[in-house]
Amino acid sequence: MLKLSRRYLLKTAATLTVLAAAPLAIAPAAAEESVHSIINALIKKYSGEAKAGMSNGDVRALFEKDGFRDYLDVYPVGELAGGFVWKPGMGASFVGPYSKLQIKSPFTDYLPLAEGPVLDHNKKYRIGLVFHGFNHPWLISLADTAAWEAKRHPNIELEVIDAEFDDNKMGQVIDTWIAKQYDGIVLWPNREAPMGPPVDRAIAAGIPVVSLDRRTSSEQISSEVLGNFYANGLQQGLYLKHAAPEGNIIFNRKDLGSTADSIRTGAFLEAIGNTPGYKVLANYHTNSQRTLAFKSTADALQAFQDISVSFNTGGEEAMGALDAIREANRLNSAPGGKKMMILANDDAREVLKEIKAGNIEMVSPYTPLIGDIGIRAVVMHIGAKAGLNEALPKLIMTPNLPMITKEKMNIEGIETLTPDEWPYAYGPAVAG
Amino acid sequence: MSVLELSTPRVAPLLQGALRDPIIWLILLIFAVGALTSEYYLTALNIENLMRSIAVIGLLSLGMTVVLLTGRIDLSVAALMIFSVIVGVVVMAEIGPMLGSRWLVRGNTYAGPIVPVILIALTTGIAVGALNGIGVAYFKVASFIMTLVSLTALRGFNYVLTNGHPYYLKAPLYSWIGDSKIVGIPVSFVIFLLVLLALMGFVNGSMRGGRFYAIGGNEKAALYAGVKTQRYVVLAYAISGLCAALAGIIFTARLKSVDAPLAAGYELTAIAIAVIGGTALAGGIGSPWRTLLGSIAFAAGLNLLAIWGVGTWYQNLAIGVVLILSVGLSKMSRKKTQA
Repeated sequence: MLKLSRRYLLKTAATLTVLAAAPLAIAPAAAEESVHSIINALIKKYSGEAKAGMSNGDVRALFEKDGFRDYLDVYPVGELAGGFVWKPGMGASFVGPYSKLQIKSPFTDYLPLAEGPVLDHNKKYRIGLVFHGFNHPWLISLADTAAWEAKRHPNIELEVIDAEFDDNKMGQVIDTWIAKQYDGIVLWPNREAPMGPPVDRAIAAGIPVVSLDRRTSSEQISSEVLGNFYANGLQQGLYLKHAAPEGNIIFNRKDLGSTADSIRTGAFLEAIGNTPGYKVLANYHTNSQRTLAFKSTADALQAFQDISVSFNTGGEEAMGALDAIREANRLNSAPGGKKMMILANDDAREVLKEIKAGNIEMVSPYTPLIGDIGIRAVVMHIGAKAGLNEALPKLIMTPNLPMITKEKMNIEGIETLTPDEWPYAYGPAVAG
Repeated sequence: MSVLELSTPRVAPLLQGALRDPIIWLILLIFAVGALTSEYYLTALNIENLMRSIAVIGLLSLGMTVVLLTGRIDLSVAALMIFSVIVGVVVMAEIGPMLGSRWLVRGNTYAGPIVPVILIALTTGIAVGALNGIGVAYFKVASFIMTLVSLTALRGFNYVLTNGHPYYLKAPLYSWIGDSKIVGIPVSFVIFLLVLLALMGFVNGSMRGGRFYAIGGNEKAALYAGVKTQRYVVLAYAISGLCAALAGIIFTARLKSVDAPLAAGYELTAIAIAVIGGTALAGGIGSPWRTLLGSIAFAAGLNLLAIWGVGTWYQNLAIGVVLILSVGLSKMSRKKTQA
């Protein structure tokens, strides 16, 4: 009897926490169209046009060769959970537990959990976070936000493990947590295919699992907190179309088959696929490495004298490309003596500095500051399993973020932000 | 009179020898500490995890041991373990349409018969291993260079053949290899044990196997004694290739997919385990049995650190320390024997 009433109270408290946040989240939706909705509508438009056909033969050839359609068609584009509406300025500020950097995390109001003990206050909840790359600013920031959220709740014990880009090791970590009967698991998978089976084993053992940013091949996974890769590539394409109706492009891309490459590059190609003036000069896979991007761009600069656009799937690649272009003294070597256009993703502080300086044209933010959503989601799944709160949807979309440009612009209805208007940049501060 | 003296004459020396072996004590210590410090360490589930880990790295290390015995090295094993499975899938995906079937279906899932994939993978492993051996033995390419080139080339081929996309392998037989158990023992570990027994029988129990030691101990002397050293070097690499392919099958069966970049750096783990097991990098010393011990010590130690929640950086540090200690102890014991 006592157990029943305590469960009832906990369930009521959890529901009230969610409901308390809901009016804030839902109210502005009716007032004006959010960035999220505007970008989703543009994704729909350009995807539809690309499906009908791509008139640019160069772009179409690359799109078809790498099979982007298969990936784009299954990448979810949808509304935010609980009717949440994100606006610039939202979120919480804190010092990252791992990076020791000042962070402003944008989505701390998304699926909020009140500070203090969660679920059954008398129980300790052991949650594992496994990811790759304690040596990568983007990924350290991801872990920072997860650790921050966990620390807000005294009855959560978080174990963070770096699988060092070894998918098998990540699987073994998950298997160990299954053996240790953990309450929940959050992961950042590097590749989709190999991480499905370990996730399925955890789910079969009754442990809720939430993936962050990238996907796994598991169909059983409790929730996927998905980034906005589609919005990234699309906005790179929209900016290019807005800035120049023609150009010769070189590509610095991530690992072939990674979600980041498939969706960002695919969405970029969809956006420019029906503009005849673009030519694909060279296409490199530089695997998120600045040094490889530097080398490939340096090679391309030797091979081609008429490069006008450097497309980069990530921020590291963009910085590598910029370094190579600077070293070759080719920043203004586009046809007609114009500035070579560098398009980037990932809102690292150093990328924003280069935008401010006018060296990089634009960046589509892709924030790593989403680890907190993963922790909250897995807690709510643990609660749902115990009958303490409602279950969350399987797909938890993160809000589409507007591109950042040196000057404010309106591109197909997207109000761009300037570097000074963007407090969410990650990574170490840069001088100047 | 001690218990050991009461034992049968054959068992007693073996047991006495084993008890003098530091690696046995290391393994016992790891298990004892694990049992005392964690309620999860000796659970059936964790032991299963442990056996599965041992199976993959153990197979790679067994092949490596045979090559190391000849005084050579094989850096291509990890790349080959993935390459062999990829070749199996790609070849079958090409054969399918010739037979009027489509075996690579939407989402890059392989839907054809799996036994031919396994057979092709094993053949590929042996063939690439033999090629390495031919390069080393007949063309006198330094084994380090030959297999480093193979590693790089195979990694490249893995991307070329897959175009960077994973192949999903969900056939029931494949899942059985990856996930099932035979009387509580994972199938992958059973496969590893069978290969271990076969290699122990061949390397330690046959005259031909003894020639690996002869070549590693003093190749010129072996040659003058009439041993066809080149053939045995090729054979050692072929065995290593076969073990790598088997490891690849077990590895990808657990992940139910194969992906070009998988298992990067596992060749170093295989070398480390062989060395921890007492195999000399200079050749002539070591055995599959001791590699089994090395595999258990390595996997059990790492598993204990994982159970404790120790971060991977510290795990890597621990591997380094254990490796240095192993090499040091092995040198000391060899000096003692020579004295």
